[in-house]
Amino acid sequence: MLRKPLSKKISLLLGLGAIVGLMGLYTLISYWQHQINPADSTIPTWTQLGDGVRKIIEINPRDNQRWIILDSHATAMRLGMGLVFGILGAVVLGLLMGCFDVWEALLVPPMSLLAKVPPTAALAVFFVMVGTGDNMFVTMIAFGILPSLSQSVYLSVREIPEEMLFKAYTLGATRTELIWDIIFQMILPKILDAVRLQIGPAMVYLIAAEMVVGDVGFGYRIRLQSRLMNMNVVYPYLALLAGFGFAMDYSLRKLQQAGFVWYVRKN
Amino acid sequence: MNREIVLECRHISHWFGRKKVLHDVDLKIIRGEIVALVGPSGCGKSTLLRAIVGTHPPCQGEVLIRSGAGAEAKLVGGPGRDRGIVYQQYSLFPFLTARENVALGPMLDQTDIPFRLLPFTGWRKIRKQHLQEADELLETLKLGEAVNLYPHEMSGGMRQRVAIAQALIMRPTILLLDEPFGALDEATREELQTMLLTLYAENCTRKAQGQTPAHTILIVTHELNEALYVGDRVLALSQYWNWKAAGFQEHPGATIIYDRVAPVFLPDQEMEYEVLRAQRKTIRATAFEEQFSQSRNAQIRFWEEIEAGKGMGVLQ
Repeated sequence: MLRKPLSKKISLLLGLGAIVGLMGLYTLISYWQHQINPADSTIPTWTQLGDGVRKIIEINPRDNQRWIILDSHATAMRLGMGLVFGILGAVVLGLLMGCFDVWEALLVPPMSLLAKVPPTAALAVFFVMVGTGDNMFVTMIAFGILPSLSQSVYLSVREIPEEMLFKAYTLGATRTELIWDIIFQMILPKILDAVRLQIGPAMVYLIAAEMVVGDVGFGYRIRLQSRLMNMNVVYPYLALLAGFGFAMDYSLRKLQQAGFVWYVRKN
Repeated sequence: MNREIVLECRHISHWFGRKKVLHDVDLKIIRGEIVALVGPSGCGKSTLLRAIVGTHPPCQGEVLIRSGAGAEAKLVGGPGRDRGIVYQQYSLFPFLTARENVALGPMLDQTDIPFRLLPFTGWRKIRKQHLQEADELLETLKLGEAVNLYPHEMSGGMRQRVAIAQALIMRPTILLLDEPFGALDEATREELQTMLLTLYAENCTRKAQGQTPAHTILIVTHELNEALYVGDRVLALSQYWNWKAAGFQEHPGATIIYDRVAPVFLPDQEMEYEVLRAQRKTIRATAFEEQFSQSRNAQIRFWEEIEAGKGMGVLQ
């Protein structure tokens, strides 16, 4: 039968099995490659990977710092700041567009156009406007996610049945109360959903930009080490990125489950 | 007997584009009544109700509301806390539990945002009172076990009960119900009708004690039996009247063509189909059958009927 529910234990085992299988396949390919060329660094063995990891977490003699801390700090700060500003801007603009007809007419067309411009393509624009420092990355991420995020916010405001808004008025709500106590509370969990979907793009923008103009950060390190063919450093970095993204997504989901019981259980 | 008019519609007409839907609707509602408004689908019942709620003002005419006894009649300019509304759907806020939904009205009405957000304003204490008040109201409406449920966890009937509680806690001058039981099954529907009759019985008791009745209700429904059962007065809004004889070239829209008293039932009294039969037949012929068009005033007999002492319940 199709779509027959699987027991939790079995589905967990299968998921783990898939990951172990992937690792096994990698080991095999790496082994074959080293049969041909024992000095190969494109598909490092687990020992080589261990060396790479050590290089990442131990103090680097060149600049007397640990790469992992240096890069994580830079990338996380940029991403975090970019997300915060982007989300704040998007929520404000989305609410304005969703609640007021003038703002809707004014902002919806430019937002739908801007949402189609890949921010990495417009890198030079941010470059010219705010210089090359951390500010540039933050601005790029913020402006990168703002158009589509504000569109999601706008749409979820529009989805609220008008009966609810009328109802609130008959309960004595003022216009500000309607926006703050009804509309904003209604769309909060939907904002979290939209943010979860935007973390992926935001990371793409940031890593790509760091590859082009960064002097520290995940993107910079990955590009540099790829050029040197140090794949034993590149792979752990990729794994770190995956873990980073997963952790963020997971914590947002948990936050939603804890804070918005009505929303999670309903869907 | 002193009969206080709480709601008055004066010459309400409404157009959608070039099509006229409401024609010169006049309506006065007495405090304590349960007025049932019926009519063929698409006749403009909801349009009239929206005009009264204030969300969609009519193209012509005005709605007046008089809150307290002896108070000035106020022109309705938009939705306000003196008119409670229960819709068929979306009356409750999905992010609030039953008690929070009911306590929402007092919160929005009595406090403002800075008061709630700033420390040391005593908001917590007031909030506690609101919630307690909500619990008590829900308890009297037999919803004691639902106080902490979210709307999606409730049955349709529970939701509508909570929605009525949510409106009642505001002590509105008039409670407007827009096809409130339309989506419910028969048994649940009856339970809720009984609940309305309980409110009506309360009105009668207060009236007998010389107090002003607390609940005035206008219920829009497409069920004739329901209208006759819960209402002490039935109104029919319909486009089927002899407008040609009244000198119109084009159809001027629906208007009220039936307005008479209805039998009053006690909450524990079964609906007696036989008692209602003759009246149901008249309403059906007057308002629902096109070939039976009468003069618009032929069945507007409510005021002469109550003068003649034919009104029951609070209309006595």
